[in-house]
Amino acid sequence: MSSTLADNLNLDTRRRFLGMSAAFFSAIGAAMMVIPIFQYLWPRQESAGEGGARSMKFPAGEVPIGDAKFIRFLNKPAVVIRPNEQELVALSVVCTHLGCVVKWDEKSNELRCPCHGARFDTSGTVLGGPAPAPLPSFSARIEDEYIIIEEV
Amino acid sequence: MELETLELGPLKIRNKLAIRLFSAVDDRLGVKEILQDEMFEKIVPAHLTFWACFGGISFFIFICQIVTGALLMIYYEPSIMKAHSSVARIMNDVPFGWLIRGVHAWGSNLMIITILIHMTKIFVTGIYKAPRELNWVVGVTLFLLTLGMSFTGYLLPWTQLAYWATVVGTETPAAMPVVGEHLRYFLRGGEDIGQITLTRFFAIHVMILPLILASIVGLHLVQIRRQGISGPM
Ligand code: FES
Repeated sequence: MSSTLADNLNLDTRRRFLGMSAAFFSAIGAAMMVIPIFQYLWPRQESAGEGGARSMKFPAGEVPIGDAKFIRFLNKPAVVIRPNEQELVALSVVCTHLGCVVKWDEKSNELRCPCHGARFDTSGTVLGGPAPAPLPSFSARIEDEYIIIEEV
Repeated sequence: MELETLELGPLKIRNKLAIRLFSAVDDRLGVKEILQDEMFEKIVPAHLTFWACFGGISFFIFICQIVTGALLMIYYEPSIMKAHSSVARIMNDVPFGWLIRGVHAWGSNLMIITILIHMTKIFVTGIYKAPRELNWVVGVTLFLLTLGMSFTGYLLPWTQLAYWATVVGTETPAAMPVVGEHLRYFLRGGEDIGQITLTRFFAIHVMILPLILASIVGLHLVQIRRQGISGPM
């Protein structure tokens, strides 16, 4: 008895092989699409923000005594305050509670968060409110009429 | 042979043209049977109370959100320079803009409330139990997606409230170990909230989430139809 064409071709295993290859290559194709889509969505470095330098320098005249200047330092908003003749402080102004930007209140010489009312003194210490940690502070000094801020 | 009257549940259609149009579609797709079984002669259990309506009410609000949202997109401009002024324009200058935006903003709050009532009802009366566990999971997913819609929509008017709420809202996941900081970076599209964040949230709010939400709503409804309404307690 001669075998039929279908027997010789062994359709069952062929079909399975084709099915599995189709699934395999589709999976590879799908995986290859995920990479460009993910990279497309991931924020690019230049959008991270300016002011990434580890130290910065600007004329002391920009912060008169009894005033404050908001700057960007280490990629985050920060403030330089001169409450009086002697003092000069530089602090991060990103609230340690949930990241709002705190404001400097001239009268009380405190930093206050508008979001949930955390309060800090000019050394960053928590005075009240929900903030769990002090504001990080930076080293600040005046040299030749320039204010220099550095990471501690 | 042409029908004199076409009976569709309680409807009796006598208009010749209407009958011919309906029969033309019915001959090809058999819609009459579906309409009879699924709508006109669908038996709704007698034990249902007003509390069973909240899923449907949420669905209705969802439709309202799609309609008003599409209308708002006509005038809204997703740029940090123009977002706030374009919303102000919708509120003050565009005829009935205040109404469209009001329905959208209040609807979003209302939808959360009706969904919570719906979920409470399902939970308290134990409807989530077998064989409906899967639909509970689908429903919770819908709830989370709705929260995602609320969160992304909140930033779009670019007000102080919107801005700082998003600062706080994107800072919260940053508390997660390991992935937290990356997640915040990804959500914001950078270190800070800015134009990129606004554009991202806009895309998520008007395109990505609505498409996902609508298809999962479909899944939710199909499951209800397959399983039927649960019996009395
Ligand atoms: S973010 Fe500053 S108190 Fe909450």
